[in-house]
Parts: sequence; structure tokens; C-alpha cells
Amino acid sequence: MDLLLDFVIVGVSIGIVYGLVALGISLIFSGLDIVHFAHGELYMIGSFLGIAVISFTGVPYFWALIGAMIITGVLGVVVERVFYRRLTRGGGGYTVAGMGMIICGFGMSVALQNVAYLLWGAAPHPYPVSFGMPIFLGNIALPKSYLYILICALVLMTVLHTFLTRTKLGLAVRAVAYNKDTSYLMGVNVPVMISLIFGVACAMAAAAGVLIGPINYVQIEMGYLMLLKAFAAAVVGGFGSLPGALLGGILVGLFETLCAGYLIASYKDIYAFLLLIVVLMVRPTGLLGILVKVKA
Amino acid sequence: MNRYPPKKTGNGVRNALLAFTAASLVAGASAASAGVIKVGVSLRMKTETGEKYGQMVADEFEAINAAGGVNGNTIEVKLLNDECKSDIGVANATKYAYQDNVHLFIGSSCSSVSLPIVDVLHKAGVPMLIPHSTNYKITLKGSPWVFRVPISSRFSAAAAAKYTAENIGTKIAYIWASDAASQADAQKFYEYIETYHGELPVYAEQFQEGELDLRAHLLKIKSLKPEALMISAQSQDFARGLVQSYEVGIPPSVKRIGGSAASNRPAPILSGDAIKGVFFHAAFSFADPDPKVQEFVKMTAERYGVANPDHDFSQAWDSVHVARVAFERADLALTDDSLAADRAAIRDALGTVTGYVTLGGGVVDFCADATPECRDGNKTPVLIEYTKGGEDYELRVIGKTTFDADFGLAGMEEEAMKLRESLDN
Repeated sequence: MDLLLDFVIVGVSIGIVYGLVALGISLIFSGLDIVHFAHGELYMIGSFLGIAVISFTGVPYFWALIGAMIITGVLGVVVERVFYRRLTRGGGGYTVAGMGMIICGFGMSVALQNVAYLLWGAAPHPYPVSFGMPIFLGNIALPKSYLYILICALVLMTVLHTFLTRTKLGLAVRAVAYNKDTSYLMGVNVPVMISLIFGVACAMAAAAGVLIGPINYVQIEMGYLMLLKAFAAAVVGGFGSLPGALLGGILVGLFETLCAGYLIASYKDIYAFLLLIVVLMVRPTGLLGILVKVKA
Repeated sequence: MNRYPPKKTGNGVRNALLAFTAASLVAGASAASAGVIKVGVSLRMKTETGEKYGQMVADEFEAINAAGGVNGNTIEVKLLNDECKSDIGVANATKYAYQDNVHLFIGSSCSSVSLPIVDVLHKAGVPMLIPHSTNYKITLKGSPWVFRVPISSRFSAAAAAKYTAENIGTKIAYIWASDAASQADAQKFYEYIETYHGELPVYAEQFQEGELDLRAHLLKIKSLKPEALMISAQSQDFARGLVQSYEVGIPPSVKRIGGSAASNRPAPILSGDAIKGVFFHAAFSFADPDPKVQEFVKMTAERYGVANPDHDFSQAWDSVHVARVAFERADLALTDDSLAADRAAIRDALGTVTGYVTLGGGVVDFCADATPECRDGNKTPVLIEYTKGGEDYELRVIGKTTFDADFGLAGMEEEAMKLRESLDN
């Protein structure tokens, strides 16, 4: 029983991080009808920026998280305005511009990785923060970093949910996600809303990067596997659905950890994609697939 | 008084003519014998540390040239980064062998890279001097062109296993990364415990190189309550596993053990305090008070800004000087037509290198036969413990032991035969 609880704690903690990245992917998809393949690199850059904020300002970890989110959010806006705007104007989905956007995302992924290499090198960097020994509840070890992940992720998601559902700006974002042309006619500044969506999505990726930093190390190649897992999470939850992204993340994290724990641990990465295949076979739109039709 | 000037003039002309003739002869002779020994180096230079020991190799060869070269010949070094990736390493080796026509190949750092390169250079007939790779299969393949300066995993893992069994216990859990060196380290470790102490591993599983989350393995290990945990992986995977082992609550009383890559500089830097008390096997420790070691440490600090060089540095340095000894002994023509003969001469000269004392204190003894006994030069692993982690990490030497050349080869005939078959295909 203790072992099962240990696995659940680990699965949920990593799952929430998958969920945060998946949330950004889903947000961009719901807003622009595109799949952003450079999102893993923004997660990586966000993580590096967290270290940079701590190193340069000496602020506590929480403020480094906020700082990294803001800087990465701004970076996301710049990337969207400078590089993606011409393509996103042409539309997403199965249009030529939508396909172009996918290629552009791959290119951006390589470019961002190289920029990170030039700035921080190829060596892994430890996170300059220590949470000390875990809290022991009997035989169960509860690392403080996991609690931090859980609390921060829940706060971020609540804020995002409140923003999208309780503010005028959030309403405008949802309107753009639903139908850009109608939003134009209703007086919504669509380009600004698209930039905002990109910025928020990148900020979420940065949050995931900073939260995972103390558990892992930060290095330029860290985005690739996270992107794959986040895609799996987004698809399991229902692509384009924000609650689905979070649910998918937690399910993927739990499923792969429990399978690794009770089956063969060496195949841990395979289990996430096994779940993806099973969910797609049973429910092709994902678990919260109904929401896909109305998006955010 | 007037006798001497004319005579002196005559002598001067004669001397000038003699000097001119002698100079011409010397110049002619030099032109005939001076040549260029081409060395191709392929190392893991992915990080700043790697770049620095790569640069050190180039600088050491340059210093030999500056001191007059080897038997009047100069050494031309080409340096390539293989990023510890086998496809890049094989491409580098192929380029060196067939395009750059090198006389000697030095590389690689990673066993996963060196293993396929052995096949390439065996076919090309290029001597290969290995500076870092430890997997026992490299020399078990039986290529006559391969020589290894570092300590084979059949010696080093056994030394660590012996120490563990005698001082900690035999109830050991193992996780290892999928790269060749890590696999061999763990395999040789638990084989030793099984053979000499009859204890099977409490847990033994492989994980993918670069795996972010090892906690599923570690939680299972925690529930099995082992006496020791061996994490055999490249430095960053090792550090990740080590830190996560504390996160999941494996108590500090469970002794953590590293493989040879635990000695690499990133391991203590990434692990921080978690690495304190971890021991591993290596070929060298900068904490060794030997004046030769301390002089080397001073050199790396001054030239490369590395005050605590790991055994990748020391073995790279040793490899250059083993190569120098071989170049001095080889009868080289160094013409375009003599390439194959020169390569064979360097191979044969490497086979005569004996009694070379490495910076770590082990002695490199090669011989002519294409067997692991002859080609695993250094048989003296050093057991080292971390006493402090972080950038300014500190070490202490636990002990050194020297093995017989044939140690660990019993029962490996079938594996050797299979490896040789793959080499000839």
C-alpha cells in the first residue's frame, strides 16, 4: 500500500508538469488551430531563465518562477509577432499556412535550441535551489519539491481558469478561439488576442520548466521528450480542451509511473504512448473530446 | 704578422665551402627524413570540460613538436567532437582513416562510440589508442589494431565490487544506463558479487540514457531495502539518479556507488551534497598527493582553469605520451606510399610499450598479441570517495589494487568468439 501511494505521489507530480505543458499546446491549438512543435524548447528556455533570474537577482525560487514566466511569455509574443504572424494570418488546420506553421514550428525548435546552446552551452545545469530532505509520513516519502509543484500548478490553473472565464479579456480570448472572423466583427482586437494566447501558453511552459528544474537538470535537449509526453497528455485529454490537458497530463503521469512500478520500469516511456493509443482507439476525440468542438 | 691574414682568408673560404656543403647535406638529410605523423582525435567534447581536455591533447602534441618533434618528425593533430554519439564517432573515424590518412587514431571517450569504431579501424588498418572507454568488449573483440590506456571494466568494477562486499554488504540494487560503459560496469560488478559471494542482485534494471525520471525504479528499490545502490550511468544520468534516490526516501544508510563515469566533473557539480559519501572506481584522483599528480593539477588549473581534473583529463594526457613513446620507437618512412607500413609500424611500436607509469599510478603494459591481456594496458583501478560535492568538490582515495592481466576473462570464450566473428564480417 505504501508503495502504491509512493507511485501515486510521483505519478501525479510528474503528470501535473506534463499537464502544464499540454495546457500551453492546447491553448495555442484552440486559439490558432495550429500545433506548436517548438513548445518543448520554450519549456527548456523557461527553465534556463529561472536559473538566470535566481543567479542574477538572488530572489527566492517562487519569484524566479514568476520572472521566468513573464520573460518567456514576452519571448512567446515576440516569436509569434515576428516569425509566425504571416503564417497564422493565413489560417491554421489543414490549410497550406497551417502546414507551413508546422514546418515553421520544427524550424523554430531547432533555432531556439541553438540559441540556448550559445547562451548556456550543452552542459546540464543544476537548479540553484534546495528543498532539503522529503517529509516522511510513515514509510512514504513526500518530497517538498512535489508539494511545490502541486501547489504552484493548481494556483496557476486556477488563475488561468479565472482569467478565461471571469474577465473580459478572457472572454475575448475565448471568442477568438471560437471564431476569429466573428470576433473581428464584434470589435475584438484579434492579433493582440493571438499574441496574448501565445504569451500565456509560453508562460505556462516556462512554469513547467522551472517546477521540474529542481527534480531534474536543465539542459538544451530537455524539451524533446517533454513535448512528446505533453502531446500525449493533450491528445488523451482531448486536443484543444484546457481541462482535458490537465487531466490528460495527470493520467499519463500516473499510468506510466504505475506501469513502470508494477511491470517493467525500463519501458516507462512506452507506457505513456500505449495509453495514448488505447484512448484514441476507444475515444478518438480524447477523454474530454466534446469540449474540442467548442475549444477553450 | 702578415702571414696569417691571407692564410686565414684561405681557411675562411674553405670553411665557408665546407659549411655550405655540410649545411646542404644536413638540409638534404632532413628533407629526406623529416615527415609528418598524422594523428586523428575524436573525443566527447560536448561540454566545456570535454573541450578543455581535447585542447589539452592538441597542446601536448604541439609541445612535443616545439621540443623538436619525434625523431625529427612533426606531429599533425586533427581534433573532432563525436558528442558521445556512435554515428558521429564512426563518421569521424572513417574520415580520418580514408580521407585524412592518419597514422594513429586516438578516441573515443565513450564505449558506445569506441565499440563500432574498432570495426571501422580494423578494416582500414589504422592503430587505435583508446583514452577513456572502459567497456571490456572493446579489447575482447581481438582486433590487433586496438590499444587501451584506461582501465577495463573487468578490473575496475571488480575492485569496487570487492570493496563493497568486504565493507558494506552484498545485498545490492543496480540500475544502469543503456550506454556500453555503464552496462559493462554494472554487469561486471554484479557478476563479481555473484561469483565470489553467491548473492544475486536485489534489483537489476536498465534505463534509457537521458531518462528524466528514475523514480519508479528507485521506489521499487526503496521497498526492497538493499544495503547498497549502484547507479551506473554517464555523469548527468548518475547525478539525476542519485538526487532522486534521496527524494524518494531511500535512506542515507544505503551506500550509493557510482560507475567510472561518476568521476567525471559534471557528476559532483550536478549532484551537490547528495554525492557526499559516494564511491566509485577510476584511474586517477586529483587528491593523490603524488608530486607528479599535483604538478599535473597545477598545469590544468593554470592552462585550462580546471583545478580538479578528473580521470578523463589524466587519461587523455597519458594517451598522448603513450603515443609519443610509440612514435619514438616506430621506424617510419612517412611518405604517401608508406602509409600502410607506417600504420603497422606504429601498431607494432605500441605493442612494445611497457612500464609506462600513468598519472594515476597504474602501469600501462601492452604486448603484441591481439588479446585483452595484452591490450588492456592499465590494470590498477583506484577507489575514490567524494567527501564534498558542488563546484569545489573534494575526494579521498580509498585504495588501489592491481589485477592479473587475465582477471575476469574466465568463461568469456564464447562471447569473445562472437565478437571476433562480428569484427571479421
